[in-house]
Amino acid sequence: MLNTLEPHPGGWERLATTFVWSAAALVTATFCWLLGDIIWHGLSHISWAFLTTPPRNAGREGGIGPILVSTLLILGVCLGVAVPLGVGTAVLLAEFTTDTSLFGRLTRRSLDVLSGVPSIVFGLFGNAFFCKTLGLGFSILSGGLTLACMVLPILIRSTEEGFRTVPTGYRLSAAALGLSRTTTLLYLLLPAAVPGLLVGLVLGVGRAIAETAALIFTSGYVDRMPQSLLDSGRALSVHIFDLSMNVSGGDSHAYASALVLIFALLAINGATSWLTKHWLSRRIVTV
Amino acid sequence: MNICRVLCRPKKYALLVALVMITVFTDVPASAEDQRTASNQLNGKLVVTGSSTVAPLIAEMGKQFESLHSNVRIDVQTGGSSRGIADARQGLADIGMVSRAMKDDERDLQAFPVAHDGVCIILHRENPVQALADEQIVAIYTGKVTNWKAAGGTDAPITVVNKADGRSTLEVFLQYFKLRASDVKAHVVIGDNEQGVKTVAGNRTAIGYVSIGTAEYDATHGAPIRLLPIGEVPASSESVRKGVFPLSRPLHLVTKTSPSGLAKSFIEYAQSKAVHDLIRQQYFVPLAD
Repeated sequence: MLNTLEPHPGGWERLATTFVWSAAALVTATFCWLLGDIIWHGLSHISWAFLTTPPRNAGREGGIGPILVSTLLILGVCLGVAVPLGVGTAVLLAEFTTDTSLFGRLTRRSLDVLSGVPSIVFGLFGNAFFCKTLGLGFSILSGGLTLACMVLPILIRSTEEGFRTVPTGYRLSAAALGLSRTTTLLYLLLPAAVPGLLVGLVLGVGRAIAETAALIFTSGYVDRMPQSLLDSGRALSVHIFDLSMNVSGGDSHAYASALVLIFALLAINGATSWLTKHWLSRRIVTV
Repeated sequence: MNICRVLCRPKKYALLVALVMITVFTDVPASAEDQRTASNQLNGKLVVTGSSTVAPLIAEMGKQFESLHSNVRIDVQTGGSSRGIADARQGLADIGMVSRAMKDDERDLQAFPVAHDGVCIILHRENPVQALADEQIVAIYTGKVTNWKAAGGTDAPITVVNKADGRSTLEVFLQYFKLRASDVKAHVVIGDNEQGVKTVAGNRTAIGYVSIGTAEYDATHGAPIRLLPIGEVPASSESVRKGVFPLSRPLHLVTKTSPSGLAKSFIEYAQSKAVHDLIRQQYFVPLAD
């Protein structure tokens, strides 16, 4: 269809087309290369035993069972804290403050600055505040809370965008029907803003699960099966870093762990997106 | 009503999950610092922090120690030697790990060597060169000498094998020869020790450096490599153990005060013969018997 509408392509047109296509091809090729490399080196080591047994000989042998559990717990703590706080702040920013109010501008500006702060800074902050000042020590709780601080700005800003894309007509109609602001928020605006929240969640989980610098100083290096949230637990990314940079002969298991990390990330993103769609379709008919 | 029913259900699940999580994950409170040695029954938790080079070794020792004393937990954290020093000083860690000799201003700490890390230069066994002076090694690694003829060998180009960034052997090597990582002009960059041995064993004109433990093991098990002496000192675990091999460093555990109780038992264990296998497994050299 498009082709029939276009004028006869001249030299520049063709050049631009070539450029755009090769740029896209380059991006795709990089991704495929990366994934292919990891699958090639890692797939042969993946087995049920690898996923469930504890590491032995500094990770050169054995599996990643306790490390997977620690990673999921850290992520759970992170999201459990970040999602309620994030949605709350986003509601305040989008629904209860105006664009020009001093408080709103200040909050937004601080969030933007926070989202640009390097993760090692969050790690040192988490170590100083959660581990030492609050006395949580090297623990899954410290790690999760530190990650929550890191993920919050992304989560808040994209959820806020989600609220802002809801047409004003919804709010006016709700007010005209005599619905309270809380009801409007819970049953109308929140479901409509979920896609924004979802984007934030996917980006946030991606940043959290890949985090090494912030976690090595907070949740730590211990590769034992955690028994409480106050235990230190090694995250998958820390394990990969240690195997590839610190343990000679750990490369093959580093690749396998990286493969698990990538699949975990894809699975979590897929599940989030599926759950939201499923849930949404039952709550509101159409947006 | 319908809306509420649908809305409430996930909340119930969430509550249930939260309750399960709380019951499952809070039943064992960490019994910090209640160390006691009475009647051979050690219990409590030791926090060990510091050098990332030493951390995998101590973590393995910790696991073995835990399996001997079921009520003991050894938590190993990394962050570098200076962190080990700082944490031990401030009391944040019971024991610090340091992967170098102690400095003069660190005499306030108690230091306990547990192993040595030695690095040696290796050539192919058929390379006629028997020894290289320090300056020659520097010249080869910085690309100033590129042919074995200039270093007393046959007329053949030199293949320089270097370690990847972040390897402790690289640090020891650079430190001894006073080089920076960017000075080295390498043809092949390798990861672990085994790979280094294989690269040199498969290339008659290559020069590389690996951990002494690995090189010795492979050389005595048929790999065609030669370990070069540094100065007059032969490259062997024995020289490292005696502390005379220059390309080596001690691996220390440090404590703020004279250790007692659990910390004392663990340090004694880490210095005992029982862990020599573990030390060799991590490519380090055990202390003298």
